[in-house]
Amino acid sequence: MSVVPAVPLSRAALVEAPDDLDELIEFFHARRWSDGLPVVPPTRERVERMLSCTSRKPDEVVANMAPGFGAATIERIAINAVMAGCRADYLPVLIAAVQAMTAKEFNLQGIQATTNPVAVWLVINGPIAEQLGVNGGMNCLGQGTVANATLGRALRLILQNVGGALPGEMDRATQGMPGKFSFCCAENEAQSPWEALHVERGFRRDQSTVTVIGAAGTHNMNTHAENADDLIRVIADTMAFPTSNDYWINGEPWIVIGPQHAEILHARGLSKADVKRRLWEESKLSAGRMAKIELARTQIARSEELGQITADTLLPISGGPEGIGIVVAGGPGTHSVYVASFGDTRAVTREVKQ
Amino acid sequence: MVSNVFVGLGKAQARALGHPGLPLAVIPHPFGSRTRDEVRALAEKCVVEIVKLAAAK
Repeated sequence: MSVVPAVPLSRAALVEAPDDLDELIEFFHARRWSDGLPVVPPTRERVERMLSCTSRKPDEVVANMAPGFGAATIERIAINAVMAGCRADYLPVLIAAVQAMTAKEFNLQGIQATTNPVAVWLVINGPIAEQLGVNGGMNCLGQGTVANATLGRALRLILQNVGGALPGEMDRATQGMPGKFSFCCAENEAQSPWEALHVERGFRRDQSTVTVIGAAGTHNMNTHAENADDLIRVIADTMAFPTSNDYWINGEPWIVIGPQHAEILHARGLSKADVKRRLWEESKLSAGRMAKIELARTQIARSEELGQITADTLLPISGGPEGIGIVVAGGPGTHSVYVASFGDTRAVTREVKQ
Repeated sequence: MVSNVFVGLGKAQARALGHPGLPLAVIPHPFGSRTRDEVRALAEKCVVEIVKLAAAK
């Protein structure tokens, strides 16, 4: 959809704000320019410093963002990055993320406005992950790393302040989820036995990329399974739950495989494609486990793909094994993470350019 | 056309796209879980409202 912004685009307006820190924090909260946490004031100096890390013009429109169709200019992305606490050289990652999120197949309109708890998960690959210090190791989905915390937060502020998805207004989430504050990690390429995510998706290893994923939650899978068959069986069984969007829509679920688990699979001689195929086959869900109404909507949504669907049908989680995403991330430990998807979305990868 | 849960979204989006007074036909939420027969019944009801809105314009 081509949308002409209602307001003429130029540089951002300067706004007079209180000097007192407590008053300043409340100033942002009162205007709903924050995610509920204090923000770094986007002074002219800080924004200019951020803009110095890209060759692109401040008033260039990267995209119009659903559901409010605000224009994501380079400057507006930079302002929100400052507010989130990003370091200046993070800006190119956010520009690429905005490009990725506004690709049609990502379905930003649905993700922003749905009642579902959907966060945008950023996965960073290539040399920039190390350059910026994006964590793909221990606690990579948790707190404590500046790049992970502030890149994910900046993206949320952009989705809210530029895309217009304010909670309770255009963001209609029934409960939402903690990942909507921030959800960002690198892939642990150094400890992955397989090709990196961005290589799998058509990029060179020396290119830097950001992948955006419409994630509906994180579910820990703690297993001391010592052989590949056992490990695949319990992961696949975790994926198959009857309230998952993925089964009735034909989704795109993701697995964050911890390095220890990845090594067990690799030692058995399994490629990433082999793992996907095994998971796809073993995670089929008996349609009769769904609520009757979900079975009925699955019959409507997937009969063209699967033929007649009855309570005895074994539903695949995605259209094919390639529909399952795999990221190797985390530190030592017997954990992997299941990331169910919004369903009606496809991950998008874009190169990060300076 | 929006379901009642999304009326606020519809109004806000219409404003953002430069049509603040855009008339909205409202149907009960949820829509996604309805059977084909229920959708047909809703469509029959809704078409009357849509014709009214179109005629008013």
